[in-house]
Amino acid sequence: MTTTPDPRPQVVRSEDGTFHLIGSRCRSCGHPMLALPPRCASCLEPHVADATFGASGTVWSSTVVRIAVPGRTPPYALAYVDIDEGPRVLAHVIGHDERVAVGQRVRLVSSSAAGDLTVQVLS
Amino acid sequence: MTVSINGVGTSHFGKQAGLHPSQLIWQATMEAMTDADVSAVDAVYLGTVFGAPGVAQRALHAMGVWGIPIITVENACASGTTAFHEAVAATESGRYGCVLAIGVEKMTDAFDGAIHPESTDAEGRSGLALPSLYAMAASRYQALYGLTDHDLASVAVKNHGHAVHNPRAHHRTPHTVDEVLQSRMIADPLTLLQCCPIADGAAAAVIGRPTAASHVAVRSSILRSGAPWDHRSEHVWGFELIAATAAAAYEAAGIGPEDLDVLECHDAFTIGEIVTTEALGLAAEGEGASLLRSGHTQLGGPQVVNPSGGLLSRGHPLGATGLAQIAEIVWQLRGLAGGRQTANPRIGAVETMGGGVAGVDGNACVVAILEMISA
Repeated sequence: MTTTPDPRPQVVRSEDGTFHLIGSRCRSCGHPMLALPPRCASCLEPHVADATFGASGTVWSSTVVRIAVPGRTPPYALAYVDIDEGPRVLAHVIGHDERVAVGQRVRLVSSSAAGDLTVQVLS
Repeated sequence: MTVSINGVGTSHFGKQAGLHPSQLIWQATMEAMTDADVSAVDAVYLGTVFGAPGVAQRALHAMGVWGIPIITVENACASGTTAFHEAVAATESGRYGCVLAIGVEKMTDAFDGAIHPESTDAEGRSGLALPSLYAMAASRYQALYGLTDHDLASVAVKNHGHAVHNPRAHHRTPHTVDEVLQSRMIADPLTLLQCCPIADGAAAAVIGRPTAASHVAVRSSILRSGAPWDHRSEHVWGFELIAATAAAAYEAAGIGPEDLDVLECHDAFTIGEIVTTEALGLAAEGEGASLLRSGHTQLGGPQVVNPSGGLLSRGHPLGATGLAQIAEIVWQLRGLAGGRQTANPRIGAVETMGGGVAGVDGNACVVAILEMISA
């Protein structure tokens, strides 16, 4: 196993019980990012600060992984989610064993026991 | 200065557990050097992703290639084509007169199934195996453009049909649409027969100046890395990088997509060929499946795509793939492709796409335009 810190995005729980994605935003151009790079990936200005996004988003695409991946038990549903006013992020979809429709609204929930960013379909 | 491909060679492609990586390199390199009628070169570029440190020198020193620069490059699935691109650039600039480009991968040393996602990558650590990256594109296309499962399977049917005539391919069995769709689901909507197999192999090309009146000239070769792929991206992963690389390659060659007679492109997964043929300009966006329905890209059609059987059938030893694509187009242009020979091609293209880094629209894409110059 690697000694590199876990690169997966994290969430923070708000007082109202909702979960928000921890990322960063450029103070110069407003570009939202997942990492905290030394300068903005878009405008290159060195003014990137911590930010949170969410608590909801829209599914850009989705699939279900059905092959063996080390340390995981298939199948599991994944989605690219465009977080509201935030970045596009890969998330596991809780309680789903089929693909989630493009355009489906989802909300962030607590990360899984395995440490994966997780969303839930909004009914 | 005209740069030409004076010789090509490949090993067999497939699961070759009993062979050392050096043996794969020797097979490809000796065939290419014999084909080019050279016994020495000025430099070597070798592409590999999972190759052990020193994989190039270990093989080459044993066959008397030493003293010259030997450079190993990594660019995911485009590693072999990156070695080719650098060899062409080094020759074109006059830095070297004759350069060997090699690609190699002994996949069965590293994996017994799919490639393990990279644990230092945010999406890899989250379990996004490579088939699922392409499956995301396929799902998006199905929602946006009405692309059917049958359309996706048609890519595999076409390319497996081509590989029947390729004695070096990993899988040479033809398949029906039903067989493709009924094979095991890997990542929805992609089934097993829509995914390239893990294979071992090597391929090589000798790059130099034309040594005969008739030769295969490199009209252009472009290498690019991808822009950010994020919430601003309207296209599926990889589309914009391939389109931008292809546009630059067409401009440098002074041609357009309509001038291409034969192509080898990155069909690691069926959706890859559909998206790529659109990005290359053979069809409008969202209409790539029409090329399959009309037979436009099938052997016998006017613009054959992946006559070798593609990655889907030849197998995908990552570093070797790009140079195997180059070898196939060279054989096609020289009329040496046997039962899979296309009709009198003059201009061919190779496109390879490598990815795997989260949030990047492809680690690397290479598009090369080759032309048969006849005496």
